[in-house]
Amino acid sequence: MQTSRPVQILKDILATLIVIVFMFPIFWWSLSSIKPYTAIFNKDGPVYFDFQPTLQNYEVTLLGKSRIESNLESGGTSGAGGGSSYDSRETILQSIIVAVGSTILTIVLSTLASYALSRLPMRGKQHFLFWILSQRFMPPIAAVIPIMFMFRDMALLDTLTGLIIAHTLINIPIAVLLLKSFLDDVPKEIDEAAMIDGATRLQTFRRIILPMIKGGVAATAVLCFIVSWTEFLLSLYLTTSIRTLPVKISTFVTSTGTEWGFITALGTSAIVPSFIFILLVQRHLVRGLTLGSLKD
Amino acid sequence: MATVTVRDVVKKYGELKVIHGINLSIAEGSFVVLLGPSGCGKSTLLRMIAGLEPISEGDVLIGDRVVNDVHPKDRNIAMVFQNYALYAHMTVRENMSFALDLRKAPKDEIERKIAWAASILNLEPYLDRYPKQLSGGQRQRVAMGRAIVRNPEVFLFDEPLSNLDAKLRVQMRTEIKELHQRLKTTTIYVTHDQIEAMTMADKIVIMRNGYIEQAGSPLEVYDNPDNLFVAEFIGSPSMNLIEGRVEGGRFVSKGGTAIALPAGCKAGEGQAVVLGIRPEHTHPDPAGALEARVGVVEPTGPETHIYFELDGRDICAVTRERTGVKPGDPIRLRLDADRIHLFDQASGKAIR
Repeated sequence: MQTSRPVQILKDILATLIVIVFMFPIFWWSLSSIKPYTAIFNKDGPVYFDFQPTLQNYEVTLLGKSRIESNLESGGTSGAGGGSSYDSRETILQSIIVAVGSTILTIVLSTLASYALSRLPMRGKQHFLFWILSQRFMPPIAAVIPIMFMFRDMALLDTLTGLIIAHTLINIPIAVLLLKSFLDDVPKEIDEAAMIDGATRLQTFRRIILPMIKGGVAATAVLCFIVSWTEFLLSLYLTTSIRTLPVKISTFVTSTGTEWGFITALGTSAIVPSFIFILLVQRHLVRGLTLGSLKD
Repeated sequence: MATVTVRDVVKKYGELKVIHGINLSIAEGSFVVLLGPSGCGKSTLLRMIAGLEPISEGDVLIGDRVVNDVHPKDRNIAMVFQNYALYAHMTVRENMSFALDLRKAPKDEIERKIAWAASILNLEPYLDRYPKQLSGGQRQRVAMGRAIVRNPEVFLFDEPLSNLDAKLRVQMRTEIKELHQRLKTTTIYVTHDQIEAMTMADKIVIMRNGYIEQAGSPLEVYDNPDNLFVAEFIGSPSMNLIEGRVEGGRFVSKGGTAIALPAGCKAGEGQAVVLGIRPEHTHPDPAGALEARVGVVEPTGPETHIYFELDGRDICAVTRERTGVKPGDPIRLRLDADRIHLFDQASGKAIR
């Protein structure tokens, strides 16, 4: 359908406005991260571009410098606090390990589970699927204390393995349901053709079906990664010395004040790994990967 | 190459019986078409032969071996699906070599077989393309290529042409027949298209509701249908059927039209019968005994279909003459007496 020119312009303006509204928090967040202390806390009103940009917040959180060191180098004045408790390098590493680890574990388990659910006959399959979904009905806060006790008994408290398992458990229901819907779109004749060609179930799955749904797997992986990357509650309860990014950031709200500079700097940095991860998988995020296997 | 034997095969889904004890023997190297309306069980039968559906009762034999519990991969069969079921992430070459790779065939043998299949199917220029870059006919050929490289004992085709447009379908029909003449592999082909069945088959097996209605060569089932279902199902336009009874050695329709029966007709006096006559044996003829009024005239080019009403039933005559009749014209018709089929009205069985 051809839209007339004024309508098209109106649509473009509206789209731009919506993008601005949604992008503004990210913009404000990253802008604040390069503001000096005085620009963040300006009593006269918000400061947009009228400040001297500084990398101090990043130097403290990402390079592990103390605030005093950082200040001395840039010749500024010393603020409150300071010290290595804002050093987040280990946190970032731990977050990456947990997010990547739980994503891989989730994908391995969920692809197999969803293939079985999509292809194999099973009594009461619908009920089983509903049960899987129902695992997400309960707010995690309601279960976090029992989970904590179980993890303690299994010596998984405050371990990376424990956190990986916990995040995998959160992600599996959604991942299984999502992957099953992608698998259901692959006609069963493909499996049958492979079977007649001489493939076993596992060979069919690994060599034929999995490559055909790699777009779906990529999308699911992105989702799992983001869930794990931003997960707060379980990480808070199940760890003490290990800190993932959201938990670490929460510690920047201290009894002596909120370190907005560090929070925004670390928050902005936290976008980067998930952004890279999405870039890596996005070329698989194309629809119509099964195009061509069927009639039209 | 092998024979295929189906012995008292029954298929049940829970309580629902969809195949009712079918017997069928397929000769080595023959081309058998399973024909029937949708839901008649023809695909289910094919899938049981393929090993994709468990057999509830009876045996399926490939060669001399009962294969009921043999995995599809060990039956040495190849199947072409209605929707082709190509592996979208593999090139044409990889699609064809997949089965050979799994068998761990030597590289040079794989190369040789693919080259051979590609040359037979005119796929040489497309070997490195992906299925999505091919047209419908080419994809169909890839699916066939995937089947022939394996040199199977039996080919199974499940409505392979129904997704192609009319022209391509005719072309692929010829190609499949040529392929069969060349390879002489036992072939079982499922379709609901009677033209495909007539043109390709050595033997047509007509199925309905899980029973075999008739099996025989194309001309056998066309010329001597065993029952009303086969008579109506085979042929286009389909056979004209008129209900009536036998009186004094003649057929008398419900409306009182009398038609002379051929000598030696085995129908009993007073028996309720259905008279069948193919449109090409129904001729417009000024000296004909039947009188009717023309309803619709359909010129197809080589022949003209003239429809008219007789005793409340639409009857068709096919003629190669340029008769020039128009709707509403009165017309006289002559039936080829030796081409008249009689069926028992109650059982639908042919009276011979």
